[in-house]
Amino acid sequence: MNPPIKGSPLLAEVAKGDVPAFEELYDRHSGTLYALLLRILNNADDAQEVLQEAFVKAWTGASQFDPSRGSEIAWLISIARSRGIDRLRSRNTRSTREDEAGREISTHSGFVVKNTGAENAIRAEADHAVRDALLELPEAQRRALELAYFEGLSQSEIAERLQEPLGTIKTRMQLGMKKLRERLQAFR
Amino acid sequence: MTHEELISIVPLDVLGAATPEEASALAGHLPECEACSRDHQEYAEAATLLAIDLQPVNPPADTRARVLSATTTDEGSDDSNLIEAAQRFRMKPWWLATAATLFLALWGWRELSVRALHEKVIEQDAEIRRLSESNGQLSSHNEKLNSEMSEIASPQTRTIALAGQEVSPAATARVFLEPGRRRAVVFFYNMPVNPGDKSYQLWILRSDSPKPQSAGVFDVTPTGQASITVENLPVDLPIKGLAVTMEPRGGGEQPTNSRYYVMGKS
Repeated sequence: MNPPIKGSPLLAEVAKGDVPAFEELYDRHSGTLYALLLRILNNADDAQEVLQEAFVKAWTGASQFDPSRGSEIAWLISIARSRGIDRLRSRNTRSTREDEAGREISTHSGFVVKNTGAENAIRAEADHAVRDALLELPEAQRRALELAYFEGLSQSEIAERLQEPLGTIKTRMQLGMKKLRERLQAFR
Repeated sequence: MTHEELISIVPLDVLGAATPEEASALAGHLPECEACSRDHQEYAEAATLLAIDLQPVNPPADTRARVLSATTTDEGSDDSNLIEAAQRFRMKPWWLATAATLFLALWGWRELSVRALHEKVIEQDAEIRRLSESNGQLSSHNEKLNSEMSEIASPQTRTIALAGQEVSPAATARVFLEPGRRRAVVFFYNMPVNPGDKSYQLWILRSDSPKPQSAGVFDVTPTGQASITVENLPVDLPIKGLAVTMEPRGGGEQPTNSRYYVMGKS
């Protein structure tokens, strides 16, 4: 897994047209972005297409990245997620069966990114922190966050999906996000 | 909308779960409020934890190649064009796979067709050669027959008719003697079919000798027909007549019996 490392110099180099830096950027983050897009789109072909779009956007728009506003991975995730949700919404058909198949791909695939050395140690620590943060979330809060983040549902749509009052859903999402933010701050 | 209400919208907005009205109000507020802007950035960063929590999955290798190709193919174009190009590239492998499959299928079909046609051409060439040889033989044979017919029709050719005898009254034969070529051509009709262990033998009855002279042996077809050519007839041979007997297969120097099947006098 990739840690939320801030201030990575890669995008600055990519903005200068440094192809090797772009290759490293891809190798470093494509596994996370692809897993995210598989989770959102539940379709490998769509996920690969949007992944390509996202990296092309990163290549052409790297100069827009501001390290003071977030990490490199957060910026890339934001691009990939935005395009993935757009793609998801543009699709007219989507079945529950496909959802489940997509989850299977994203969580059980044998094609796992392999890291080495010190980077592994850093990421292992980050992974641990992330997993702890998410594990600490009550299932109801986590579920509400996932529906918003991965399926692009609005709070009212989530309330309808979960058959819960809108106010309850809003509170769950706010509390869940607050815990994630605190965990992230603690990690830094 | 109060500041507290706007702050409460921030975590929903980073998830894309705020209502359009809430998102619009917050978007208008963030540039004016450093604290809310900072909160928004931190919540946005925190939201990425949901993605980072996923087990990474390596995309296919060709995706990497397509992504990297964008750095060399469309460097000067804008983002939308690049994305369109990316989509085109994304389609390329499918197109290439389909095109390659069709090409291979057509190529294979063409190769098989060419091979089949080649084999057919070879067979036809062989057949043409065989027919040419046959035609040559037939032409040669035809020339020979024409020549023989000319000889037979020649005024110098003598004709001897042989009539059926007691054992085969329906049988007939006609002999064409060609003195110039020292040759005789004999045609037999309605002869009884000879057994497998027997042969017909043609005899020349000489006026200067009581002993007949063998002119050859022959078999008849199931319809009782036959034709033989007697070559190298002695010059000035005193032919009194011709007769045919049935002899043991292969014939003999003299007839073993006097049962003539056909006979005629010159």
